[in-house]
Parts: sequence; structure tokens; C-alpha cells
Amino acid sequence: MRKYLFAFLLAPALLHAQKSARESAPIDLTGNWVSIVTEDYRWRMVTPLKGDSASVPINAEGRKIVNAWDPAKDEAAGLQCKAYGAPALMRIPGRLRISWADANTLKIEADAGTQTRLLHFVSSTPGAASWQGFSLAKWEVPPGRLTRGGLGLAIEGTESKSLEVSTTQLRAGYLRKNGVPYSEKAALSEYFDLFKEPNGEEWLTVTTVVTDPIYLAVPFVTTTDFKRESDGSKFDPSPCSAR
Amino acid sequence: MRILLASVLLSAGLLYAQPSGSTQIQILPVQGNIYMITGAGGNITLQTGKEGVLLVDSGLAATQPQVLAEIRRLTNAPILYLINTHVHPDHVGGNEGFSGTRSTLAGDARNNARIEGDQALKIIGHENVLNRMTTPVGKETPPPQYGLPVDEYATPFKDLRFNGEGIVIYHEPKAHTDGDSIVFFRGSDVISTGDIFTPGRYPFIDIERGGSVNGEIDALDHLLDLTIPGKTQEGGTYIIPGHGRICDEADLVEFRDMVVIIRDRIQIMIKKGMALDQIQAARPTLDYDTEYVDANSFIKAGQFVEAIYKSLSGGK
Amino acid sequence: MSTIDRTKIAPFVLPLLLALLSLPVRGQADFAGQWVPLFHEDLPERLPGPELGDYMGFPLNDAGRLRGDSYDPDRISVVPEYQCRPHGGDYSMRGLANMRVDPIVDPVSQRLIAWHTRMNFQEMERTIWLDGRPHPNEMATYTFSGFSTGAWDRNVLNIYTTHLKESYLRRNGLPRSDKAIFTEHWVRHGNYLTVVTNILDPAFLTESFVRSQTWELDPRQRMGRDICEYGAEVPKPRADYVPAHFPGTNPFLHEVADEYGLPFAVVRGGAETTYPEYRKIMPKPEHPLEFCRLYCACGQDGSNTCLREPGKR
Repeated sequence: MRKYLFAFLLAPALLHAQKSARESAPIDLTGNWVSIVTEDYRWRMVTPLKGDSASVPINAEGRKIVNAWDPAKDEAAGLQCKAYGAPALMRIPGRLRISWADANTLKIEADAGTQTRLLHFVSSTPGAASWQGFSLAKWEVPPGRLTRGGLGLAIEGTESKSLEVSTTQLRAGYLRKNGVPYSEKAALSEYFDLFKEPNGEEWLTVTTVVTDPIYLAVPFVTTTDFKRESDGSKFDPSPCSAR
Repeated sequence: MRILLASVLLSAGLLYAQPSGSTQIQILPVQGNIYMITGAGGNITLQTGKEGVLLVDSGLAATQPQVLAEIRRLTNAPILYLINTHVHPDHVGGNEGFSGTRSTLAGDARNNARIEGDQALKIIGHENVLNRMTTPVGKETPPPQYGLPVDEYATPFKDLRFNGEGIVIYHEPKAHTDGDSIVFFRGSDVISTGDIFTPGRYPFIDIERGGSVNGEIDALDHLLDLTIPGKTQEGGTYIIPGHGRICDEADLVEFRDMVVIIRDRIQIMIKKGMALDQIQAARPTLDYDTEYVDANSFIKAGQFVEAIYKSLSGGK
Repeated sequence: MSTIDRTKIAPFVLPLLLALLSLPVRGQADFAGQWVPLFHEDLPERLPGPELGDYMGFPLNDAGRLRGDSYDPDRISVVPEYQCRPHGGDYSMRGLANMRVDPIVDPVSQRLIAWHTRMNFQEMERTIWLDGRPHPNEMATYTFSGFSTGAWDRNVLNIYTTHLKESYLRRNGLPRSDKAIFTEHWVRHGNYLTVVTNILDPAFLTESFVRSQTWELDPRQRMGRDICEYGAEVPKPRADYVPAHFPGTNPFLHEVADEYGLPFAVVRGGAETTYPEYRKIMPKPEHPLEFCRLYCACGQDGSNTCLREPGKR
């Protein structure tokens, strides 16, 4: 009897543990994506004017940093990539190339600033703080639970097709090119969702939630949209720029 | 769920794939006693009740039998009134057919209206409609002898009561033509406009038959005075246009504004001394063409501009 | 025929069966509740309102651009029929107003057959039917909310709306025609609702127009009434007066470029300007600026206060 009980308890874990993140992916994010800038245009397609933090829920401390922004200083200090960190990278107009680095690591290459993000589905020891931080990913488990009714075979529940990513270990950076800051205590939560349109286009929307106890009064939430491209011929890496 | 979405999307795609002016006769309920009949050329309004059937316009001659067949699927009540909004054949073509639905009234040569029981079909229209129907222009075919609107009126309006509601027929002078009528069903709160209002296509300002752009605008303004919208500025008074979908005041005001704005632009160009060809080249309708012109449009942008130009300048 | 040793496979059959049966067979999410729009994107344009001539980010064609150039905002007050006009169902999702979402449950089957939304601006209401009903006849009346049907794709609700009345893409005269196709995708992550909208308008746009916005659940929210009555407050010079700028005469079109130090070509919109590579060919601003002058600190501390006066919050 004990061996039956053991098998009963172990089987689901065994069944799911065999599948890698790539194998269990409910959506295919791999491929080439281009950001289409239809929102926040004058804060994304051009470097915003100094002192402009419109829409960002920064606090008074953050406003001081905004008003003191000096790109020349950042260049001199080798901080040209300060606005290309994970909390801001998706927002910069550019192209993404998404692929599987291995069965449990999704790689996002951005041509803006020639940045690479690694989304780890298996936890490991994060390294030192960096522009892209350390990202832990999972296929989202939606709220609600499996319920069984009646004789035990009625099934109800939800299933998700979203990717959920949590990023920590971030170096202090900028939410926008003109020095709207986030601190080293900032944390990032993201959701990646895929949509198909009636005209055949495929879109990727990244919901970005930045929390920062130092400079943000409330979580800063943005959503950025990318259109799938058939190939990567327009992927055009460029260096970071502080201006 | 994917199949459901696909079917929704496919059916929506089919909606957009259908050409305007589908030849299938359809009867759609509007409000109160009122229905709209489409697919017969111009839209036809049908009012039905205990007293019988009233029609506004009769569509094309060729589609009249189908229209009658569809009406009979809805009701067997006698058709006792037919009101013509204007003289064009896609609105009066079926008159003759409808006037032939009952036995001949001997001795009445002018109108071969027939009788069921003791009431003849009354065909109502402004006297300019009757005059134009009996006076062919140029090489037009001789006028019909039957189905003429011999219950004509020449006053600013005419009213009657039928199926429990008041019905007011307003003459709109020199609008789409010089014989336009709109029909206001006061109880049902529905107005039939004839071709004064044609959502999705430029109005046909029929200069040769007495139409004018300023008269057209006055008629549209009058319609706006009559309509009262419901909550969130929609519904309330419904409008059956000469062609196109069932509308309300919000749709009407967009159309009115379009006509006024384009009229104003052409007026300014005329005052600057521009000739018609120069005005056409300036494309005063550019920002409206994508909404009001397609491959099937009866009135193209150039025709609309020319009609306004002639209407404002008296040019030929 | 060999005999299967049931004693060896039995320990695995039952758990395998249960594991297979534990796979969910339906996808749904709960959108019911009171939702507050977050204005962490485009706050100055969405709340105080867009500048005249600001077409940035719109894949406009020439017709759409001219319509915007001709727009005179006096029209809203002078033409009384516009005074109480609500937003279109598509623009409502840009999140100007707070929203309440209620489920509609079939009283017999207890199945969810629709979501009902109410926006507190002009009390706009919409029903998103989930029961597979067809869209109305193309000759049926159009409404500001349109007719919406939805279908689940796991946790995402895909919504398709037709029968939308003519309305606007932005409150500065950029039009959206009644030929447009409007799709949405609703997805909930925790207490955030992300709504992705796509407008395909063959009359005024050359490409898909995709935007996304986020709402946050707030059970404390209570919506009241928003009743509008029109009034004739501005005299009309004549009965048939409709305020509009004659093409080429609108004096306000350069304001947004000048006030924000942007190239004029950029504020004119167009699909080309929405792609990253446009930055390589973007012209220089005619009147460059270094410092922000307007709406600089909008949204500070998470407030939606957004004042135009320079140098002030």
C-alpha cells in the first residue's frame, strides 16, 4: 500500500518536473520584435527635455535628481548605459531578438544600447548588481485553484499564457533618458503577453511594474507594445548614449 | 473557444466584405410601429398596425415584387398609404407595382389606384414630385400612367394619423431636389428622410431637379431640430435615411457638419475667384473622401464638388 | 498472448490518470470590480487634454491629418449636439474615466454570458457578450460603444467590436471612422488589468494602431452619476455655422512643436514616425529647447494633478 501512496504523491511532480521551461511554454516569444511607438512619444523617440518627468510618479527626491541631470557628467563617468537598464530598456524604441539560451533561460537581445537580458526559469545565485539585474522567470500561475466537485472528477480552473518575470540586483539607473531616476533598491516585475490580431499581426505587450522606495511614490506601471517581424534583418545594435 | 473567436471574426469579416447595397431584401425593426426595408434601391419605411400598412417610398420597379413578398411575410394588412420622399426612380419605381395590388377602380384614368374594401391606396408626395414624374426631362422615358402621387400637397407640411400615431410630412424646399419630403412618425419617434440624408455617401444635390446645397443644409438642420437623442446622445429619435443603415441624431450631425464644412470651403474658394477646375484640383473633400466614397459610390467627390459649386455660383 | 503484470503498473496508473485529469480545460479570468486607470503614460495628453496639432505616434494618412488640421474645438460648444457626446468605446479604453466591470450570469445555467462595463464619464455602458451571439446586421444602428463579443484564450479575453459610430482617436480632432475594426485583449495580472487595443481604420490610418493601458483594482471606488445637459452658451453667427479651419489656415499647428522643442515633422504623425529607425532621419527641431516648460512634474507623487503653468506642479 505504501508504494501506491508514494507513487500517487510523486507522479504529478515527476510529470511536470520532466518539462523544461521551453517545453512547457504556453506561448512562443522567440523571434524578432519591433517597438511601435504610439504612446509616450515625446519621452521615448527623442530625449526628453531636462526637468521633464511627466507621468512618472516620482517623489520630491526624484524631482531633485531630474532637475540636476547632466549627461556630460554621465559620459565622463562611463555611465552612458544608465538609461538602458532593465526597468527602462523595453521602453526605448528598438528591436528585440528573443531566443532560448538554454532549455531554462530565455534571452532577450535589444539593439538599443546593445543590451542582453537573461530570464532564468531556474533559480541560481545572482551576481553583482548590473544594468539588467538578475531576472527570475516563470510561466504565470493565475489566481484561483483547482477545485473538484461532486464525485471528484469535475474540473474547474484557469490557465495562463503569460510570462512573469521578477528582476532584482539592479544598478541605479534612469527610467528615462533625461535622468528620471530609480535607485539600487528598485525592483522590477514584468508580464509578457502575446496577442494575435484579425489581420494576422502578432503583438507582444510587456507590462512593466517598477517599485522603488527611494524615488517612486507608488509603483510605476507602463505597457509597451512590439510587433513581430518576419526576420531580424533590421536588428541594428547601437551603443548606449547618455544624450 | 478558438472556434468561437474564429467564427466571430469571420462573420465580422464577411460583414465588411459585403458590398453596400446588397440586393437581398431585408426588413429590420426600427422602433414602435416602424420597419426599414433595404435592398430595393432606396430604403423603404414600413409602418404597420391595426389600420393597415403605410410605406415611405417604394424602391426600384424591378424589386417591387420581392419587396411585396417580404412585406407579406410580415403582415397581410392592406397597404393603404405610400408617401414618396422625392422623384428619383430608386424611390418611386415601385409605385406602379404597389398601385396594382388591388382591383381596378374603373373610370379613374389619372391614378389606377385599386381598392380593397372601401379605401384606395393613397400615394402622397409634394406637388413637385408629381410635376416631375409627369414631365420627362430630355430623353427620359415617358412618365408612368399609374402609381402617380396624386394625393399631392403644396403646403409646408401635411399631416395624418394612422395606426394610432400622428404622422407629419414636411416639405424641404430645394434640398436634394425641389420635391423632397421627410416623414416624421411622432408616436414611434422615427423620421424617414429620403435622400436628404445618406450616411456613408455624399448627398446627391440634384441641381437639374431643383436641388441646392443651402437647401440641403437647411433640411439637415430641420432634421436636427426634430430629433431628440436618448441617453449618451444616441438612440431616441431614429432616422431611416435614403440609403444606408438606421441612424440617429449623432450620425446626422456628423453628416450635416461634413456638408457645411465642404460647402464653406468651396464658398471661400469661389470668393477667391477660383474656377471649378481649380477648386477640384484643390481637393476640398480630401479628408472626407475616405469615409464617403468607395468603388460603389453613386456620387463621387468630383460630382459633389461640382454640384456645390453650381449651387453656390449659379454656374452650369 | 503475454499477461500484463498489473501489480507492476498499478502504482503508476492512478496517479497518471489524476495528473492528466488535473489539466485545466477552460481559461478565464475575473475582471469584476472597480478599476482605476493609471496615468503613468501620456498623462498630460489623457487628462488635461491633447494639444492641437499633436499627432505624434499616430499612423495617419493625409485624410486623417487634414481632418485634424481643420478641427476647431469651438465645435464642441457651438454645435450643441456635440456637448454631451460621449467617448467612443475604443477611446474610453484609453482610460480617461474610471470603470466598473460587472459579470452578467445566466440565471438558469449560472454561466457567465457577458461582462458589462460602466465608465463614469457620461455614464457610458457596454456589454461584452461571451455567449457566441452574432453581431447585428450591417444596416442596424451603430452606437458609441459598438457591439462587442469576446472569446477566451486561457487568461486573455479577446474582444471584437463592430457597429461603432464615428468618433475620435484623440480629443484634438483626430477622427476615427465608422469603418474601423476594433479589437481588444484584456489580461489581468494580480490587481492590474492590462488592456491592449488595436484600431484598424481604413479611412484614416495606414496601419494598425495599437496602444495599451493599465487599470488598477480599487474596491474603495464608488462611481456616481455624470448627467450632461446641453446648453447654448456660445452664440452662432448664423444658423448653419460649424467652426472649422479652412485648410492651410490653422494658426495653432506649430504650437506643440515649439512648446516642447520638437521637429514639426514629428508632430504630424504618420506610420513611418513610429518605427525606431525614424530617429535616424528625424529632422532637427526648428525651435530647440533645453529645459522643460510645461507639464514638467505632472504625476509627481502618483497624483493625477497636471497643471499647464510652467514651473509649477
